Amino acid sequence: MTTTGLHRPAPGSVPPPAAGTRRYRAAAGWRLGRLYLVSRRVPMALALLAGLGALLWTALHWHWNIAGGPAARQFIPLTIETGAAAVIAVTTYGPFGEPERAAGRWLPWLRLGAAVALTAVAFGVLAAGAAAGGMPGGTLALLRNFGGLVGLGLLSAVVLGGPFAWTGPMAYLLVAEGALAHRSATPWVWPTRPPHDRGGAICACLVLVAGLVLITVRGPRESDRESGPAS
Amino acid sequence: MPWILPLIAALFWFDSYRPSTGTSALYGLRTYWSMGQGHTIIDFGPFVAGVAAWMGSRDGRRGLADLVTATARPRWAAQLATWAATAIWAVAAYLVFVSVMFAVYAHQGVGGTPPWWYVAVGATGVIAFSAFGFAIGAFWPSRFAAPVAAFGGFLAMYLSFQIGFHHTSGWALILPTNSSGNFDGSAQADSGTFYPWLPDLPIARIMFLAGIAVAALGVTGLPARAGGRRLRAAAAVLTLAGAALAGTAVGLASTAQESAYGVVIPTLHDAANDAPITYTPVCGRSAGVQVCLNPAYGRWLPDMTAALAPVLTEVAGLPGAPVRATQIAAAYPSGGDGPPQPIMFGGQPPVLRMQLGLLHMPGPCGFCVGPTTAQFADEMRLLFAHAFVGAGDSPGSPAQQAVQAALLQGAGVQFAGPTPQAATGPVYAAARRLATWPAAARHAWLAAHLAALRADRLTLEELP
Repeated sequence: MTTTGLHRPAPGSVPPPAAGTRRYRAAAGWRLGRLYLVSRRVPMALALLAGLGALLWTALHWHWNIAGGPAARQFIPLTIETGAAAVIAVTTYGPFGEPERAAGRWLPWLRLGAAVALTAVAFGVLAAGAAAGGMPGGTLALLRNFGGLVGLGLLSAVVLGGPFAWTGPMAYLLVAEGALAHRSATPWVWPTRPPHDRGGAICACLVLVAGLVLITVRGPRESDRESGPAS
Repeated sequence: MPWILPLIAALFWFDSYRPSTGTSALYGLRTYWSMGQGHTIIDFGPFVAGVAAWMGSRDGRRGLADLVTATARPRWAAQLATWAATAIWAVAAYLVFVSVMFAVYAHQGVGGTPPWWYVAVGATGVIAFSAFGFAIGAFWPSRFAAPVAAFGGFLAMYLSFQIGFHHTSGWALILPTNSSGNFDGSAQADSGTFYPWLPDLPIARIMFLAGIAVAALGVTGLPARAGGRRLRAAAAVLTLAGAALAGTAVGLASTAQESAYGVVIPTLHDAANDAPITYTPVCGRSAGVQVCLNPAYGRWLPDMTAALAPVLTEVAGLPGAPVRATQIAAAYPSGGDGPPQPIMFGGQPPVLRMQLGLLHMPGPCGFCVGPTTAQFADEMRLLFAHAFVGAGDSPGSPAQQAVQAALLQGAGVQFAGPTPQAATGPVYAAARRLATWPAAARHAWLAAHLAALRADRLTLEELP
């Protein structure tokens, strides 16, 4: 018995596109992107983001807001935005380590594309959740706060590694909560600023851009202790 | 777990310690934000839950679940060992951080005694978070287990805030971040100063959090891979016992009653905890009258003597003038019509009784704008005059208001109103007449009419 016959396509099967053609490159690109997203557990992330959007809708619809001034009303939505940013940050973790880095020519672009796409999807889901009404600051504040939190998550992934990237947005949530309670107004704690505030928007954008650039160029920090299956 | 402790330490400093330094140097106020509102638990709990979830999901993430199931030790025992390592790190760090915070307070001379029972609540809360996170990780070996556990922890804490603001009594008191009247009543300042921190509610909360921890750990022993039949039966019993403990604690909290000096749960209450704390007062003299304060308030003795001196001088020698001024424990009876007057007269010979725990003392006061020494002095003089004329909890009759204003004018406090021009009308006219009288004549008139004034038997027209 030999393996010679295994190279022969099954009768009636569609022949693969010829190497080098545009169709071949598209199919290969699609497959590469799909495998990358699956290896980063993006489908699960999408499910979690959908759940967070539903949670935001429920919180706003049933008025789960904390008693107090406008700042207190931000606590629950901000927590949900933080959860979404943490989920996106954790998807940066790659299970393959050195082999992937050595052979993956498109890896930086895949990282950038996945981060941007997930951020856009998450924003859409959260904006849909905010449609229940009563979102403090409206969609503009949601965009600013969430964008900045995602940037923090990506920066955390670069510094701490993907598995622990959630700690950055969560820590920032506590800082923002303290600043809201103390009526602190530094633009670096952008959730405390009004929706149209330019300083807060600039700071959030800077953090997001820094996060996207660094996650693209450097990728998440790899730890020898945590290499293994991408669960 | 140790790798995340520097982050938690930074957050603990920012969120628990730093805000507390803006309050008066009394344990009841210093720890209201960190312990009463549960911020030490918020700083620790969600992060501990996340790390515990990461530890709980470790074998599953690495695809080792089947391998370790086949080892000699039951799977559940190995899991509990991993959880214990996480929890011990977390609780040790919590106790160290809180100890350092209290050591700094002690160095700063903060008055009173620390709320140790609430420290125990926090430590139990950290254990509960670690068990909750570990269970999530054990059942869901995913990279998302850690952020979901941490997110769940934050959401639970903030919803606990929300529930606490809307449910100021009953079962909701069991929630560790419910700040509604739970920090030994509303007279927060004097817990641990005049009377002990009542342990009733903290005990119920410890039961609740321990029950959650036991139930969460028990659940991890239920799957078939956890161990033999007997071990899984034990896990089931543990789960039920934990749930029962938590449920019992909720039931106990629903019977809580707010007393003058704290929350009392009849089933858990020990009458020995009602005994006041003995102390040797610190005393000074103000216009010849002895003024005594609890030593925890000793730093404000000069402010008190200076504040009272003009009004004590004004009433010196009158039949109702106080022979002594002494601080008493602040009490805020629940179900009443608000706080009582902070300064009252009582006894024979009359003694000025001051509930300073109901007032903002000079200096920082947390999230409010604290009174300056001058503002505090004016407030004390106003309260003194109000009590001296017998106005009670109301603004007083027109005659009492006029005499108050005249006494304050004599003590150097100008007639007040929304604007200086607003100090008009018959009350102020009568007050001005009385104030312009020679001091001796005013004194003699007060000596003759003070009893009638206090009994509200004088009209404005009967004033000189």
